[in-house]
Amino acid sequence: MNKVLVVARNEYLIAITSKAFLIGLFMMPVFMGGAIVVQLLTRDQVDLSERKLAVVDKTGRIYQTIEKSAAHRNEQEIFTEEDGNKKQTQAKFLIEEFKVEDGSSDRFDIELARRVKEGELFAYAVIDANVLDAAQPGQVSYYTQTPSYQTLLNWLRGVVNGEVKRIHIEEMQLSPESVAALTQQIPVKQFGLVEKDADGQVKEAKEENRILTFAVPFAGLMLMFMMIMSVAPAMLNNVLEEKMQKISEFLVSSITPFQLMLGKLLGSVAVGLTLSAIYLSATFALAYSYGYGDAVRPELYVWFVFYLFVALVIFGSIFSAIGAACSEIRDAQSLMTPVMLLVIIPMFCMGPILDSPSSTFSKVISLFPPATPMLMFVRIAIPPGPASWEIVLSTILVVAFALACVWAAGKVFRIGVLSQGQAPSFAKLISWVFTK
Amino acid sequence: MSVVNITNVNKTYGKHLAVSNLSLEVPQGSLYGFIGPNGSGKTTTIRMILRIIHPDSGSIHVLGADSAAAANDQLGYLPEERGLYKKLTVRRMLLYYAALKGMSPAEASSEAKRWLTHFELTNWANKKIETLSKGMSQKVQFIASIIARPKLLILDEPFSGLDPVNTEAIRSTILKLREAGTTVIFSTHDMEVAEKMCDFVFMIYKGNKVLDGTLASVKSQYGADSIHLRWDGSSEQLHQIQGVQRVVDMGRYQELQVAGDPQEILRTLVSRGSVQHFEITQPSLHDIFIRIAGPEASMDAQSSKNQNAEFGAAS
Repeated sequence: MNKVLVVARNEYLIAITSKAFLIGLFMMPVFMGGAIVVQLLTRDQVDLSERKLAVVDKTGRIYQTIEKSAAHRNEQEIFTEEDGNKKQTQAKFLIEEFKVEDGSSDRFDIELARRVKEGELFAYAVIDANVLDAAQPGQVSYYTQTPSYQTLLNWLRGVVNGEVKRIHIEEMQLSPESVAALTQQIPVKQFGLVEKDADGQVKEAKEENRILTFAVPFAGLMLMFMMIMSVAPAMLNNVLEEKMQKISEFLVSSITPFQLMLGKLLGSVAVGLTLSAIYLSATFALAYSYGYGDAVRPELYVWFVFYLFVALVIFGSIFSAIGAACSEIRDAQSLMTPVMLLVIIPMFCMGPILDSPSSTFSKVISLFPPATPMLMFVRIAIPPGPASWEIVLSTILVVAFALACVWAAGKVFRIGVLSQGQAPSFAKLISWVFTK
Repeated sequence: MSVVNITNVNKTYGKHLAVSNLSLEVPQGSLYGFIGPNGSGKTTTIRMILRIIHPDSGSIHVLGADSAAAANDQLGYLPEERGLYKKLTVRRMLLYYAALKGMSPAEASSEAKRWLTHFELTNWANKKIETLSKGMSQKVQFIASIIARPKLLILDEPFSGLDPVNTEAIRSTILKLREAGTTVIFSTHDMEVAEKMCDFVFMIYKGNKVLDGTLASVKSQYGADSIHLRWDGSSEQLHQIQGVQRVVDMGRYQELQVAGDPQEILRTLVSRGSVQHFEITQPSLHDIFIRIAGPEASMDAQSSKNQNAEFGAAS
């Protein structure tokens, strides 16, 4: 065991004293912060060119409102004030009425389509004559060659529906008070649960911060993913490099290949935990300074460290076995691809699990050992968390799987680290696992 | 007392028989040379002694132990293909290797200092390996193999790629270690070095042991059937002389393997040219190596195989 620790210590010291570690340490938040800054900067980079809309109103009763709403919007709603300066943030909508004679069989839409193609119009809309028929309402058809721009369509939808509703209310001759009562919106707020402490004191339920509720599991998942991606492939490169530089043979004359792999694994896991500790401390300090110090339950830190440790052991051992089995980085990359899928699976499952953490899908996928560390953490982080039996069962499964990975990787490492030439196939790797 | 005791060891890689029924004893304090052509089984044998790989059958005892952990801290190893951590400093790398051999940091530090001074590398102790010349790197790797004061030192091609000065530095250190009681096994392709340095020679060819013993005993198996000759004639002329079986042109002299009377051959040579040097001797290790593993030996083996086949077919 002492020699394992010697290797682990050496790996750890080499990694954390390298320039790459320091650069990575600072670059990760810089990139993430940079991404946010870029989003903020580009948020205001909106195309402000005017959008001209032709409206064919077959009811003859809605166009006026559309025109007035556009004028109001163009004057009042598309500006923000910064330091007393008015700044336009959205495009103006210019509305034009296109009249069609009743009963005309002319294809007026050919003409409108031509104008859209030539850039004279941005879009045109046709309001069916029966949109005001409550029994069988018609529709509004919106035509454009730029379907990705949804702002004009959404605005038109709101204006037309509002006007249709107003006309119906007017025809029903309801009083303004009745209309207000009918259209009143009641706020619905989300709370946690009322709790009773040991002294019998009732603690009132706190209003849930929806953003915070999802931010913690999401941030934890992303951090764990980044740590795996930083540590596991680096282990592969490290093992492969030692093999290519013929250092491995010298090392395995002093220690067994299994001890060597285990030492490297522990050293790399320690690097991942150190990185995480730095990021978690910095995040906590930042959250604390903004009054969100208690946003993360203390036990979540423990779960995060535990799951990160297990994840790094699983993927670190698999990647180091691949590194030992190959003699060239190109071969390693092709063997790495299926393993990368295992790392990415939890990212694909994140959406459904955040949406419904107690669904059957969430329960089953979080018991799949390679996905357990990331997904179980997400489920635990979303109140009220999974049932105790799920946590116990998933912990037993994932720890057993991690130990099996280390054992199998040790077997592959033992044979692979001295092998030369073409990389083995997956079938060959599996046969190495069961070679005496 | 034997430091290494190999008994009936076999090792195969797939269908390839790398070592066949090998038995070998390496006496304590000896300098044992492993020779053989490339791919003959030398490195496999060395790796099995080091427990880097395990034999399919047979047993290997090293320093009286049959488990890897028991003996590994007392072994020093210089692999044929050198490998050092390029980004580490010389000192840090030596301390790491010493720690892997179970040395305390204080002991390792003192030994590192001693050997760096011995090889005139003190000024390079805190420099990264990648800044060293090839010769310096080889010396650092050599120090790494001896820093833990091994009882058994195994060197795979220790002189390959070294200039004469560095060769001499390592050669003299090996001899001093042997004098201090370290048993040394080294493999080499340089027969002259093996002949000058080794107490014992072991040759493996196609996985089989073909020579084993002291240099004198190995040579005595071949008798005094060699002549070292320097004359003004050509090698082609030598081939035409009756009794000369083989001629190895060494440049400034020729080495002849003869079957007939040497005096008769000398008379023929004198009649055909001017002889400057004529010495009846035992074959050199180089010559023995060529006789066993050279192309002529392969052709002889093939022709005898063919003859046997023809004989078998005829009968």
